[in-house]
Amino acid sequence: MTQLVDHSALRTNQAGIIATVLVALAASTAFWPAVWLIPLLAVILLAGTVRPELALFKQLYFQVLRPRGIVRPRPVEDSPTAHNFAQGMGGVVLAIASLLLPLAAPVGLALAVLVAFLAFVNLAFGFCAGCQIYYLLGRQGLIRT
Amino acid sequence: MIQLQALLAAAVVVIVAAGLLGLVTRQARGRALGLQAGPAGRAHILYFSGEGCTVCRTHQEPALGRLDGVPVRKVDALAERDLAQRFRVFTLPTTVVVDASGRARHVNYGYAPLSKLEAQLANL
Repeated sequence: MTQLVDHSALRTNQAGIIATVLVALAASTAFWPAVWLIPLLAVILLAGTVRPELALFKQLYFQVLRPRGIVRPRPVEDSPTAHNFAQGMGGVVLAIASLLLPLAAPVGLALAVLVAFLAFVNLAFGFCAGCQIYYLLGRQGLIRT
Repeated sequence: MIQLQALLAAAVVVIVAAGLLGLVTRQARGRALGLQAGPAGRAHILYFSGEGCTVCRTHQEPALGRLDGVPVRKVDALAERDLAQRFRVFTLPTTVVVDASGRARHVNYGYAPLSKLEAQLANL
């Protein structure tokens, strides 16, 4: 069902994902424990998927950035379900990346970089890969849309 | 250095995925082109959309709305799965330019800007 979705909240979320992965990647060159920002990000995304009020970056937008006029709202008639699915998928991939970090660090980091890359593509070009997967699964009848 | 290896691995995955996407698009287009999309009549556009497709609302629909005098048939790709599968719709939006004989002459997987649609309609 469509409703008004504030796309600035989605964009803040994407920017948060990109920034966290980049910080984890850059900081870990000097201080390896910085990679644990990745499991933290996985928890943030998964918690936000289950309960929107726990979505840290979106709450940062709703509680701080929007009220202070730092980011302007951009309401669009849209379905929040596909975006929520995409966020959950990002969280799952980051959780897998987190499990791989102690076993195969380059693979774990590469997965995290891929999640950040897809968030960047969505932020810059409006292409939501998770939403396309949501559509394909719906078309196959694997999820109820 | 682990970080460099990770960046290289991610770049390889992105390049391979982009290549596969290009291949899938070419194959899907090849199978969809020339299919009978409807009865003979006026040239028109079949526009596959869906509830969760943001680009459909923010980009594709405004572009289609600016087409001069060309009928657009909007299709919910999840509600009309048979039609979507027939045209190998694997991404939303998808637009199919149909000529007056009812045949699909151009298929665009992903957002098709106004200039592209106009050129395809002029090329029927």
